[in-house]
Amino acid sequence: MIIQGLKIALESLWTNKMRSFLSMLGIVIGVGAVIAIVSVGTGSTQQVTSRIADLGSNMITIYPRTPRGQWGRVSSSGSQEKFTLELADYMEIFCPSVKTVILVKQISGRLISNEVNMNATIIGTGMDYAQVNNYEVDKGIFIYEDDVRDRRQVIVLGSQLAEDLFEDTDPMGQRIKMNYNGRIYSFDVIGVMKEKGGSMAGNLDDRAYIPLSVAMDRLTTHNYVDSYIAQAYSSDRAATSVKELENFMIKLFDDPDKEYFRIVSQDEILDTVSSVTNTMSIMLGGIAAISLLVGGIGIMNIMLVSVTERTREIGIRKALGAKNKNILYQFLMESLSLSSIGGVIGIGFGWVAAYFLSRYGNWPMVISTISVVLAFGFALFIGIFFGLYPAMKAAQMNPVDALRYE
Amino acid sequence: MSKVMKIEKMTKTYHLGKVKVEALRGVSFEINEGEFVSIMGPSGSGKSTLMHIIGCLDYASEGKYFLAGQDVSKLNDNQLALFRNKKIGFVFQQFNLLPRATNLRNVELPLIYSGVPARERKKIATQALQDVGLSDRISHRPNEISGGQKQRVAIARALVNQPSIILADEPTGNLDSKTGLDILNMIQKLHDEGNTIILVTHEPEIARYARRIIHLKDGLIDSDEVVA
Repeated sequence: MIIQGLKIALESLWTNKMRSFLSMLGIVIGVGAVIAIVSVGTGSTQQVTSRIADLGSNMITIYPRTPRGQWGRVSSSGSQEKFTLELADYMEIFCPSVKTVILVKQISGRLISNEVNMNATIIGTGMDYAQVNNYEVDKGIFIYEDDVRDRRQVIVLGSQLAEDLFEDTDPMGQRIKMNYNGRIYSFDVIGVMKEKGGSMAGNLDDRAYIPLSVAMDRLTTHNYVDSYIAQAYSSDRAATSVKELENFMIKLFDDPDKEYFRIVSQDEILDTVSSVTNTMSIMLGGIAAISLLVGGIGIMNIMLVSVTERTREIGIRKALGAKNKNILYQFLMESLSLSSIGGVIGIGFGWVAAYFLSRYGNWPMVISTISVVLAFGFALFIGIFFGLYPAMKAAQMNPVDALRYE
Repeated sequence: MSKVMKIEKMTKTYHLGKVKVEALRGVSFEINEGEFVSIMGPSGSGKSTLMHIIGCLDYASEGKYFLAGQDVSKLNDNQLALFRNKKIGFVFQQFNLLPRATNLRNVELPLIYSGVPARERKKIATQALQDVGLSDRISHRPNEISGGQKQRVAIARALVNQPSIILADEPTGNLDSKTGLDILNMIQKLHDEGNTIILVTHEPEIARYARRIIHLKDGLIDSDEVVA
């Protein structure tokens, strides 16, 4: 009886092609939108996540901080001067989950090559910096232990900076000058880094890297650094490392409110990003689901019109022996067919939309089975739910009245 | 001759708000197998109500109705649908064909609801259309054929399930007199072949085709006479 109802339903949908198409349009758009949006959400999340993972492995950055002043009181001075070289050693000792702590001294100076001169951010650091940042050398080598120990005036250039300073010539082995605080220093270029783009610490490509000792002792006379980068032994221990570092700093600075330092971990960024994208996906998915619901109401509207319009047909069918159930199934199957055909077209539509969006946004195209099943299932549910009332109305018609209907 | 149907003291009262309308006020008669009966009466006489009850489209308020040996007045909606399907062949004034379905499909409808498999259904329906002389109109739709042809499709549809009664309600009401005559001749022929026919009409010339005329007036039988 159900199969027979389906056949009759399909026939009647086919004879009203335009109306059928219009009434399934809402479902097509709804299902398509759900699939496309969920795909965009997961695709972009994957992209962002993998980018964040690229930034470095198990990195935790510790910055000094100056507390806010309150009620017109002058704010107390910051903690920058307490960020000493020795502190890094203590961190390694007191935080067992931390594998290594790297020191970063950031200055800005003017770099002068044969052709051009330009301002750049210069990072004074040690050999582990490249490894912790997942940062690879394109040509030559990165700063090595000896360079730090012997305070060698060597420099490694970020890819963008190398291009800007040495347009056509090979920077390797060249000597460049640096103007820092009105004094001129000369450096030998020993390496050029691969292109990296953004990182936790900003864009690495337009920076230069020099031995930490040179930055601390020759250029500045500071005995403190700008930040520490701690690396946990593994990603499992990253959270523990953050706790250990936090406790260490709180005790060291006697700063229970964490006013004088800030710890930023990769996990934390990852969590923030994924919670943001999740919220976005849920919100957009919700909007798409509402459009599905509206599509369902559209189907109900069309079905109600169709039932009224076909009152006479219902009367004829009943006079010829159709039971209430036959009529119920016929109309239920009609709305179900509308929503399921609409759902199938919507899946195709969403797929195509997701494909073009992923190409446009340059992220991997991910169609999750769950979103397809969920959207299609919801469409079917809507077909039944919103088809039931019109179908019942049709089934319960009195044959005499239905036959008389003009 | 065996009885096809029997009606005993049938009444039908409609409640329109507070007003009671007694459409039938105690009607009794029997029809034997192979009879050709006309039910006549002016509008408001209750003949439409009677026809609906005979056709199992409506319930009587009181009284008994036996059709093909069964008490129809005690049946529920689904059982009534089954009776309409198997025992009654309707021919309406308005033809009542599905406009978007082909003639074949229209004739197949009663067979669909009685569960006849597709291939057999097509064979029976095609044969029925041939019998009414429409073998060349099988795949046309009702709006592509003339009124007389439509009524012949309806007759073919009424016959496919070999019903106990063919119930024709003003079958010529929407036809010109010449095609009306064709249809009446066709009904006459069906009677000659042994079918039981009930013809509901208000036109005496048409009622005269039947062998027996039941006159209704104000919900009661005014006269029930056999015509020579």
